Amino acid sequence: MKTKYAAILNLIENEKDLLPLTKRRPVASLPFACRYRLIDFPFSSLSNTETRSAALFMSGSGRSLYDHIRSGTAWGLDNLAGGGVFTHSQIDLKTTQEDSGKYSADYYNDHINYLKKSKDEYVILSGSRILVNLQIEAMFTYHLDKNSDITVAYKKIPRDEVRQDTIYSSYQLNSANGIEIEKVVPLKEIPYDSRTVAFGLDFLLARTEVVLDYINKLRAENLFVSVENILKLAIENNYTSLNGYEYTGYLKAIEDIKSYFEANMDMLDEENFNALFYRESPVLTKSKNSAPTYYGKDSEVSNALFANDSEIYGHVENSLLSRRNTICQHAVVKNSIVLQSCFVDEEATLNYVILDKRVRVEKGAKLEGTPEQPIVVPKEARVLSSGEIVEG
Amino acid sequence: MKTDAVAMILAGGQGSRLGKLTKQTAKPAVPFGGNYRIIDFALSNSANSNINTVGVVTQYQPLVLNEHVGNGENWGLNRHKGGATILQPYSSVDGEKFFKGTAHAIYQNIDFIDMYDPEVVVILSGDHIYKMDYEAMIDFHKEKNALLTIAVMEVPWEEASRFGIMNTDETGRIVEFEEKPAEPKSNLASMGIYIFTWKRLKKYLKDNAAKGTEFSDFGHHVIPTYLRNSEAVYAYNFEDYWKDVGTIESLWEANMEFLDPHHELNIRDSSWRIYSKMQNTTPQQITKTAEVHDSMITDGCYVAGDVEHSILSNNVKVGKGSVVKDSVIMPGTVIGENCHIEKAIIGENANIYDGAELVGELGKIAVVGNGEKIGGYTDED
Repeated sequence: MKTKYAAILNLIENEKDLLPLTKRRPVASLPFACRYRLIDFPFSSLSNTETRSAALFMSGSGRSLYDHIRSGTAWGLDNLAGGGVFTHSQIDLKTTQEDSGKYSADYYNDHINYLKKSKDEYVILSGSRILVNLQIEAMFTYHLDKNSDITVAYKKIPRDEVRQDTIYSSYQLNSANGIEIEKVVPLKEIPYDSRTVAFGLDFLLARTEVVLDYINKLRAENLFVSVENILKLAIENNYTSLNGYEYTGYLKAIEDIKSYFEANMDMLDEENFNALFYRESPVLTKSKNSAPTYYGKDSEVSNALFANDSEIYGHVENSLLSRRNTICQHAVVKNSIVLQSCFVDEEATLNYVILDKRVRVEKGAKLEGTPEQPIVVPKEARVLSSGEIVEG
Repeated sequence: MKTDAVAMILAGGQGSRLGKLTKQTAKPAVPFGGNYRIIDFALSNSANSNINTVGVVTQYQPLVLNEHVGNGENWGLNRHKGGATILQPYSSVDGEKFFKGTAHAIYQNIDFIDMYDPEVVVILSGDHIYKMDYEAMIDFHKEKNALLTIAVMEVPWEEASRFGIMNTDETGRIVEFEEKPAEPKSNLASMGIYIFTWKRLKKYLKDNAAKGTEFSDFGHHVIPTYLRNSEAVYAYNFEDYWKDVGTIESLWEANMEFLDPHHELNIRDSSWRIYSKMQNTTPQQITKTAEVHDSMITDGCYVAGDVEHSILSNNVKVGKGSVVKDSVIMPGTVIGENCHIEKAIIGENANIYDGAELVGELGKIAVVGNGEKIGGYTDED
């Protein structure tokens, strides 16, 4: 079946600064806002459009991602009639590159074959670690209106809203028409102050034959398939009309623990919450069977987000709790993120802490992080009453 | 395709004693416990009992029910064979097939059951709150070589005359059945759960239809006939939590019991999960101005007021300064600011405008129907 867009999500992203959260999961499957994973956001944007398939390129173990995505049905990316989610794990990518200094032929062929088979007219190319709520159809209309060959999305933000050594870039727009992109400037080369930059969303839309052409050019120059590399080639060679589409909604680049923590905390602010979640159709995720959350007789909860299936008997403030958590009486959870299936025993105190899945915090334990450096307790660890963290 | 057991859930009842709540919805589709609809218990019990073929017999206001059950996917019932099937009355050359009674509904669906050629048929009603292992009951049925096994439970003697009462001998065989007796001889009440050996029941249903004998209701016709013909009819004792939620008071009571974290049903027991159609919605937002105590809250809710000893279903909003106490709020309902809701059941997608009061009392729970609007400006002042 012919649909409008084929989507390529590039999930081969640097995960080092998000350790230990990314020890056994790609950035794309990082839990977010109690009941989502980062990949739900690009997928939900796609599900509002005529998209039936997506190709994911990832490195390393994708187990947590496969488990979450399955066939893609939750996002309408069914495996009927040519649709579905095609995952390409590039475990060989690096070794091949080390041996010969070249990306494998398969790497480019996988992209080309997917696009040829999907027969869609347009391609969307994107990463997954910039959190946005992008209306693809609005960008598409703009793409047609401006007669662009390639449209990329950007948002005007103060330079210092993202990491000083961020991997992302800003776009230099033509001063006469204000939309044409003349240059891609890595943000780390721009002074770290509050001046406004056009932050590139790592999100591209173009006709399929244009993208196919660029993939062949990237292959010829042994370059990785990314929005940034396509832009660079296009600008260097004056190939095409290349325009920027200004995005004005919520944006957060998840590059490290601090930005991951802040993005979650942002959701406690109703304006941010609505900017990301209030949309024509809901942000979709793999739904799981669950019971309502029970709040005990003496529980005290204030300014917090919860998912189903938890039992709250203690004090929870300025925090986000995923499913299946137990917070016992007299326990205090403040300014913290608690992922799935944790147990916080009586009289324990957490402030500026991230508990990964299945952490057990023992009676009276006390952990105190800071907004700049929240303490991350790794998956399945135990926090002893003394405050010592024992890995599980 | 041979199957051991097929379950038939009788979900056709109107549930008129639930008043406004069943005006547009069949009783089994009425929301329960924040995240569920009543029929989820029968469906989940079937799935947990390894019964993978379930017919859901509908008739009255079936739309919500059909949408909810779908192909049974949410209960793990969407197998290659079997699964959940919605059975609606249809007309054929024999004339219209609206169901005249419980047994008649099975008679009309003989072809469906025969597709699976089961040894036994499990008859369930879609309006009870309980957890039960039907597989154990089927084993009992086979062990006793029974043709009909009826699940029974002890009820308080003073209430026995409201039920169908079984009198059994020492082996558990039912020797007498009395529908709502004035002077009950036992307090073993029928739970409306039957296991029939299918071949035999089918013959009874067909023969009586051929003869034109009235055979449309299990309680009034089928069970008495089986006993009269001294077929092997056994009582299967059930001792756990079971609640009929046929009235506003019992529905409210069952919800309040469900709220207790130590409730016998143990809704968080992962070995016997109660499944439901899951909603894609946002996390629960509890704001700075909220107070929440002894309550169940579900995903999609927004709480800025006080919620005490209450259940909020999916996507319920409670505005600032509002108090919700001892109440059940069904999905999608919006409660404005400074409202007072106490001892009430509020149906789905209702609107309670700012400042509205709705206070019921024990024995007279306040009810708001689906989509109803309460309070707000009126022209009178």
